[in-house]
Amino acid sequence: MCCSHSFEDKPLPGQKPEAFDISAVKGMKFFDPHVHMTSRTTDDYQAMADAGVVALIEPAFWLGQPRTGIDSFRDYYSSLVGWERFRSSQFGIKHYCTIGLNSREANNEALAEQVMEILPLFVYKDGVVGVGEIGFDDQTAAEEKYYRLQLDLAKEAGLPVQVHTPHRDKKHGTQRSMDIALEHGLDPYTVIIDHNNEETVKEVLDRGFWAAFTIYPFTKMGNQRMVEVVKQYGSERIMINSAADWGISDPLAVPKTAALMKLNGISAEDIELVTYRNAITAFAQSGQIDEADFGVNIDQSAKFEGNSILRGGQQPRVDKSSIIIS
Amino acid sequence: MFGYDREALQGELATIIQNNITTDAWAWLSQQGDITNTASFNATFAMMPRKTGKGLIHIAPEQAEQLNTIRPGFTIEGWTADRLGRVYLMLQADAIDQERYFAVIENLFLAAEMNELVALYSALPILAYPELWVKRCAEGIRSNIGSVLEAIMYYNPYPAEYLPEAAWNQLVMKAIFTDKQLDLITGLNERNNPELARILMDFARERGAAGRSVVPELWHLASPFTDAGIVNAVKQQYSTINTIN
Repeated sequence: MCCSHSFEDKPLPGQKPEAFDISAVKGMKFFDPHVHMTSRTTDDYQAMADAGVVALIEPAFWLGQPRTGIDSFRDYYSSLVGWERFRSSQFGIKHYCTIGLNSREANNEALAEQVMEILPLFVYKDGVVGVGEIGFDDQTAAEEKYYRLQLDLAKEAGLPVQVHTPHRDKKHGTQRSMDIALEHGLDPYTVIIDHNNEETVKEVLDRGFWAAFTIYPFTKMGNQRMVEVVKQYGSERIMINSAADWGISDPLAVPKTAALMKLNGISAEDIELVTYRNAITAFAQSGQIDEADFGVNIDQSAKFEGNSILRGGQQPRVDKSSIIIS
Repeated sequence: MFGYDREALQGELATIIQNNITTDAWAWLSQQGDITNTASFNATFAMMPRKTGKGLIHIAPEQAEQLNTIRPGFTIEGWTADRLGRVYLMLQADAIDQERYFAVIENLFLAAEMNELVALYSALPILAYPELWVKRCAEGIRSNIGSVLEAIMYYNPYPAEYLPEAAWNQLVMKAIFTDKQLDLITGLNERNNPELARILMDFARERGAAGRSVVPELWHLASPFTDAGIVNAVKQQYSTINTIN
């Protein structure tokens, strides 16, 4: 995530967006290693499943306004490993998460201290594939303090780290994030530096870290630029995510970018690496990812020994073109 | 404090667990359960699958029978190793300090993910101070997560033994609303009551009006407390309206 942009001062795109032709990537599997499903509706899960997303990672981050008490953090973390994982499973999408105290909220030190106390309860949970997203926003001393403490926690728990890089003074913030990770003795191969751009990618790759790119309107990468990055830097240690959240963003950013790469002549092998395989390789270092759990096909009208998979009164998928709501 | 022979259950479960997880994992698990060190207890609970794996437990029929003798209605058949490991961990916890015992276990519920909730609700029949968990059990029935509901409803003797009538009736209605197998609910017939019958009949009328079906068990549950004529009238109304489905 993502969302320090202001809605007021950014123009909406002028031209009509091109239609997304899923047929270009039909049959391909995708892994979105950074998407904030808490902010999305269930329709998005359905659309993602239809577009080939078989697994995703939801990093813990900012809900748009500061939390004021420890219970809000606990409930939020619980929802990442609980309700969201379940909601996702209803569409055959395997849901993982990373858990951490985000940089913005690290600046409330009294609360940050309490969050640090409950983090161990969550980072050891099943399906938690990393500590994240952590790093810098304003690049304050408090942000640095909790970034360092969480790097130590990741090391102790044997988990990869997902680093959010700042919107402002990005290049410096990215370098500083990497310097500190190395200072704490982390292997760069266990650290995923997120929200890269043309200015940061080279150094991130040269220093042995994973370089993640967020396809997000206005504030981050566009996917036409992403195509050029892959043409220039190849597919090693590069991964693509949507970071879709409560802002104007697109949970289909990964399959859409794959389609665009295909139309631009990037090889199927490279597309698979940057939209699926690399993220798995990086985060599977947590020991928490098993591909056998992915993309379990769900026919929501099917029953198993008389049991429906539909839960909580959920209705099976229906033809939405019908005007009748039964 | 426990209402059953806790030591006997510990012994029986220890044997079963040893047969189902690695020697290393058992060496680790058998040393856990110090409830006075909350952080460590929490971490043990959370990391259980990493140590025990998630394989299905194998249990001999005589072992199952033994468990049922020690704690009537309690079964672990169909459980995974991590679920059993977590329940065993709670069984190991010293329950002398009631306040601490409740606080630590309640906190596990508050921060639990789905598989952890399944384990926690599965543990209700063997926890100390059973009357302390009534509200927690009623809260669990409000879940929208199928596996969690099933952990409370299926082969779990706690709800029928301890829930007050209103909460029990909610459990049955929730099971119907979420398409659960009613015949797997422990104590379904024993806890049947007139108020439940009234709710079920109202529900049948509502479904009939909407042209929707009801599960056949509904008539079975409502009949002992409802005039046969009324049951037949509603059935009749239902069959005439229910031509849409």
